[in-house]
Amino acid sequence: MDLRAGDSWGMLACLCTVLWHLPAVPALNRTGDPGPGPSIQKTYDLTRYLEHQLRSLAGTYLNYLGPPFNEPDFNPPRLGADTLPRATVNLEVWRSLNDKLRLTQNYEAYSHLLCYLRGLNRQAATAELRHSLAHFCTSLQGLLGSIAGVMATLGYPLPQPLPGTEPTWTPGPAHSDFLQKMDDFWLLKELQTWLWRSAKDFNRLKKKMQPPAAAVTLHLEAHGF
Amino acid sequence: MMDIYLPLKRPSWLVDNKRMRTTSDFQWLLSTFVLLYLMNHVNSQRKETPYDLKCTTNNLQKWDCSWKAPSGASRGTLYEFCIDDRSHSCYHLARTNIEIPALSPGDHEITISLQDAGSSTSKFILNEKNISLIPDTPEILNLSADFSTSTLHVKWNDKGSVFPRHSNVIWEIKILWKKSMELVKLVTHNTTLNGKDTVHHWSWVSDLPLECAIHYVGIRCYVDNLLFSGHKEWSDWSPLKNISWTPDSQPKVFPQDKVILVGSNITFCCVSQEKVLSAQIGSTYCPLIHLDGENVAIKVHNISVSENSGTNVVFMIEDNVCGTVVFAGYPPDTPKKLNCETHDLKEIICSWDPGRSTGLVGPRNTSYKLFEGFSGKYVRFKKVDVSANESYHQLLLQMVPNQEIYNFTLYARNPLGRSESTILVNITEKVYPYTPTSLKVKDINSTAVILSWHLPGSFGKINLLCQIEINKINSVQESRNVTIKGVENSSYRIAVGKLNPYTVYTFRICCSTETFWKWSKWSNKKQHLTTEAIPSNGPDTWREWSSDGKNLIIYWKPLPISEANGKILSYNVSCSSDEETQSLSEILDPQHKAEIQLNKNDYIISVVAKNSVGASPPSKIASMEIPHDDVKTEQAVGMGKGILLTWHHNPNMTCDYVIKWCNSSRSEPCLMDWRKVPSNSTEALIESDQFRPGVRYKFFLYGCRNQGYQLLRSIIGYIKELAPTVAPNFTVEDTSADSILVKWEDIPVEELRGFLRGYLFYFEKGERDTSKMRGLESGRSDIKVKNITDISQKTLRIADLQGKTSYHLVLQAYTDGGLGPEKSMFVVTKENSVGLIIAILIPVAVAVIVGVVTSILCYRKREWIKETFYPDIPNPENCKALQFQKSVCEGSGALKTLEMNPCTPNNVEVLETRSTFPKIEDTEIISPVAECPEDSSDAEPENHVVVSYCPPIIEEEIPNPGGDEAGGTSQVIYIDVQSMYQPQARPEEEQEKDPVGGAGYKPQMHLPINSTVEDIAAEGDLDKTAGYRPQANVNTWHLVSPDSPRSTDSNSEIVSFGSPCSINSRQFLIPPKDEDSPQSSGGGWSFTNFFQNKPND
Repeated sequence: MDLRAGDSWGMLACLCTVLWHLPAVPALNRTGDPGPGPSIQKTYDLTRYLEHQLRSLAGTYLNYLGPPFNEPDFNPPRLGADTLPRATVNLEVWRSLNDKLRLTQNYEAYSHLLCYLRGLNRQAATAELRHSLAHFCTSLQGLLGSIAGVMATLGYPLPQPLPGTEPTWTPGPAHSDFLQKMDDFWLLKELQTWLWRSAKDFNRLKKKMQPPAAAVTLHLEAHGF
Repeated sequence: MMDIYLPLKRPSWLVDNKRMRTTSDFQWLLSTFVLLYLMNHVNSQRKETPYDLKCTTNNLQKWDCSWKAPSGASRGTLYEFCIDDRSHSCYHLARTNIEIPALSPGDHEITISLQDAGSSTSKFILNEKNISLIPDTPEILNLSADFSTSTLHVKWNDKGSVFPRHSNVIWEIKILWKKSMELVKLVTHNTTLNGKDTVHHWSWVSDLPLECAIHYVGIRCYVDNLLFSGHKEWSDWSPLKNISWTPDSQPKVFPQDKVILVGSNITFCCVSQEKVLSAQIGSTYCPLIHLDGENVAIKVHNISVSENSGTNVVFMIEDNVCGTVVFAGYPPDTPKKLNCETHDLKEIICSWDPGRSTGLVGPRNTSYKLFEGFSGKYVRFKKVDVSANESYHQLLLQMVPNQEIYNFTLYARNPLGRSESTILVNITEKVYPYTPTSLKVKDINSTAVILSWHLPGSFGKINLLCQIEINKINSVQESRNVTIKGVENSSYRIAVGKLNPYTVYTFRICCSTETFWKWSKWSNKKQHLTTEAIPSNGPDTWREWSSDGKNLIIYWKPLPISEANGKILSYNVSCSSDEETQSLSEILDPQHKAEIQLNKNDYIISVVAKNSVGASPPSKIASMEIPHDDVKTEQAVGMGKGILLTWHHNPNMTCDYVIKWCNSSRSEPCLMDWRKVPSNSTEALIESDQFRPGVRYKFFLYGCRNQGYQLLRSIIGYIKELAPTVAPNFTVEDTSADSILVKWEDIPVEELRGFLRGYLFYFEKGERDTSKMRGLESGRSDIKVKNITDISQKTLRIADLQGKTSYHLVLQAYTDGGLGPEKSMFVVTKENSVGLIIAILIPVAVAVIVGVVTSILCYRKREWIKETFYPDIPNPENCKALQFQKSVCEGSGALKTLEMNPCTPNNVEVLETRSTFPKIEDTEIISPVAECPEDSSDAEPENHVVVSYCPPIIEEEIPNPGGDEAGGTSQVIYIDVQSMYQPQARPEEEQEKDPVGGAGYKPQMHLPINSTVEDIAAEGDLDKTAGYRPQANVNTWHLVSPDSPRSTDSNSEIVSFGSPCSINSRQFLIPPKDEDSPQSSGGGWSFTNFFQNKPND
């Protein structure tokens, strides 16, 4: 747009008009309740942050488990870790999920994972590892809170844990050290997959919930700069 | 198998095989044949009678004997079995075996006969030696396995009751594995039979986990009875028993979560239904050992210490993985440096160094138990965490009331072993008190305080030893040890005395017990200011009369902190005489001077300092000054920061000495400071920060006698002398033709800055404009110096000067600190007219007298002179005997030998004279310029010099045939041959020229030499190419002067160096170096440089 000196009066008038009309713009008029948008964005950001944090934690923890767990091509079958919530899901199934179901699954998965992670923390032998795990647990607790917040904003009820199905950490002689290590390995792996999935979920939700903010721009365009 | 000799073996039948073997081969063969025949015969014989009697035993009590029936005997044939012993017992039986009680040692004849046909009887000799002892086949009662420890337990009965005697038994146990029954282990196990049935146990730990393969166990025995002389044999193997593990559907690895010692060997196996692809321990792959089915095993040798989470052993199966974790570590080290102490006699803390790391963490970490032997109390220590920085472990144990001696044992234990450490302590001797806290200070008086502190612990039964550290600012730290009775309530207090009033102290404390073990840590510091006390001394006082003598000024010094004992608030001054007392009170502190108008009476002045507590004792001084004898002022120079004054001991001086000093330039009363010195000293080093170098101070030494002071010495001095800052101001008082009288003034004391030691006076001839006086100190010979050390001298007459000459005079003063600045002046001496006149008249008079005397002498001797110097000479022309051909005489002009013609001389005198003409005329070189002015002046001793040279006229028009030479080259030609040739001529050309021209210098002037015209013409081309044209042919010079330096014998440089009189060449010939050393080729270098530099210019 080529602006000449003579246009300055026109611009000023236009600016005044825009300011006059600003209270009428619905997107800007929501002063009290900003809607689920920001909280979804926050949850998304937190997911990405946790992904980053997990990368560092997993490196440390897999080194602690020792070879071959810390070898990059080590890909064992999922043994014994049946109680862990699975993040992998068929694409068709994933698409067919509605927002409520999606959020519920996320919430449930992280509730379980957090519980297992705390168990992991209890049995870690070194203090620094425990510190890292505790830090991550706190972050994950935050994510869980964020998801609950989003669900509350959207008016979805939080899933109630069935009595007696509360996941518990059961260290015992039945579980050999090796199987325990496999569980730990899978816990980290599932956690990573869940964080990927959640990022995707929240990104989708974010796009869906985005308010029609384009109205302002269109309004300005209409004044014929 | 034991053979029993047949009864038919008669002695005659017995063949001594040994003997047979000793015979020849043939005999041996023959014997063998015969034996075979006989054996066959016997066999055919025995078929008809019972044969092959064999006896064994399994319990040494009964013998089982059996024989073979004769060929004709039917099944129901009856046999009579008789033993030919004392009882001669016979048995009738219908079978071919019999159980008989064990026979006594020795041979026994056995007769077995068929009762049907009495003829067929066999006789056997039976001896215990021929009996075989074959124990019954043992049976494994129970085989069990402890899979967790891979241990097999075998249980069996030795059936010892059947054996009558004590016997040793050797059991052999074999362990086979896999379905193919490979022998893994064969062990022997020794027991004894004690006449009773005993169940034996034997355990074996398998290297391979028992889950991995089926294991079989079998056992047999061997009874080693020493009394039995017969043959002993192993029993048969027992029936095999096996142990196997029922696998799950999931593959599994064994052993699970095992803890083993570092460096041991271990076998892991994987029980799987599917094929195992690979196995690895940590990141190391291991070769597979195949077991039954798909089961595999790996062997790990010398395993290394595990990481915190253990070492992973992983078997990769198709689509699956299984594994186990092994923890390789060490048994606990013996706890080192076990030490038990208490902080408060309530709780005992034992600490120790766990020693070498076990490599095991978490649940496998070492657990400790601290056990007290007398009380039986114990505490446990379990460290789950792995933290590298915590090298010491410690445990707390509550003390048992009234128990002082403790016997501690620390047990350490982990899955690989245990260790322990013991210590016996008397706990009251091992007290390491806590850090004292709440340190407080409370005043008692100005020199004592009470310290109180808190030290937790029940020390009621012991004494504490505490160290109090007392710090005073700017003072040495002081430590005091105190012993206090311990208390139960933890509060302690103690008085600390011998302190200074009004002083800031810093206290801190640490404690131990009387039976010292360790000092506690220092408590926090506590600062405290002690209270004030009255000043301990009066101020140091001095007095001076004012300049007008009416007022007495009293000075005093502020009290040092150690004497002030508080903050001095004011001073009281009082002057008392017999008649009156004057006093000045409440002179506030910063003022240390008071002035009182007094009559010239003898007063006693007393000064008192006061602080908040009270007044100091008065310090007194008499106003009267004892008259003194004449005191000379002496000089002294200090050293460094102070000045040392010494004096002789004066027994009259009963009180003290006072030295006061002041700046000499200050007005009266002169007082900067004073210092009192005890009466027995004879020297004092006066030091003051106020002293400055180069400043003159006055020092007065007073002696004290009967409270009156008498001046003993007066000294002026410097701390350090410096050079004067100004020059003496001097003037010329009088000037004559040969002398100058100079007068100067004193330098003021302030500017002298030291004791004047003298003056230095320089003088020399010199005008005002010249600056020759610069280097006065350089020892120039034309400068005359006078050192005036008599400082009272203020004038100087300089004599022996020249008249009407300008002189430069310089004067400077000096002290021991150095020379001051100089002052200079120019003076012209007056003219000396009388001398001049005399100087003219005397030579004139002498000349006249000499002339007159000479004239008289000449006149008197004129005849003699004439005959001597001018005799009459006859005319040769008149002599006919001397007829010379005129043409000849004229032609040569030189001397000719007299032709000895008959000629009668008539008084002829022949005189031979040297020709003054040079020989040049003999040569045919005729220069157009016969003589050149320069040459005439530089005439060389040899006449032939003429040869050489003439100044160049104009030769610039000579073309430059080379054309490639620089523009300046043409000028060079005339300049300096030496210079020119070297840089300019091309080396090749020079080489060529040398033989021709002999190089050297060639004058520019073209000389018309007739005799060598052709030669010159021939050389013309050469010269042109060289860019230089020689002015003369060398040959001609040669001809002229064969022995000259230009001869061809000389080298080119020498030759060329001839001094040309070319004007242009002058500048290059000037350098003295060239003149001195003709060989030098330096000219060439400078020339080159010159030319090379020219374009740049």
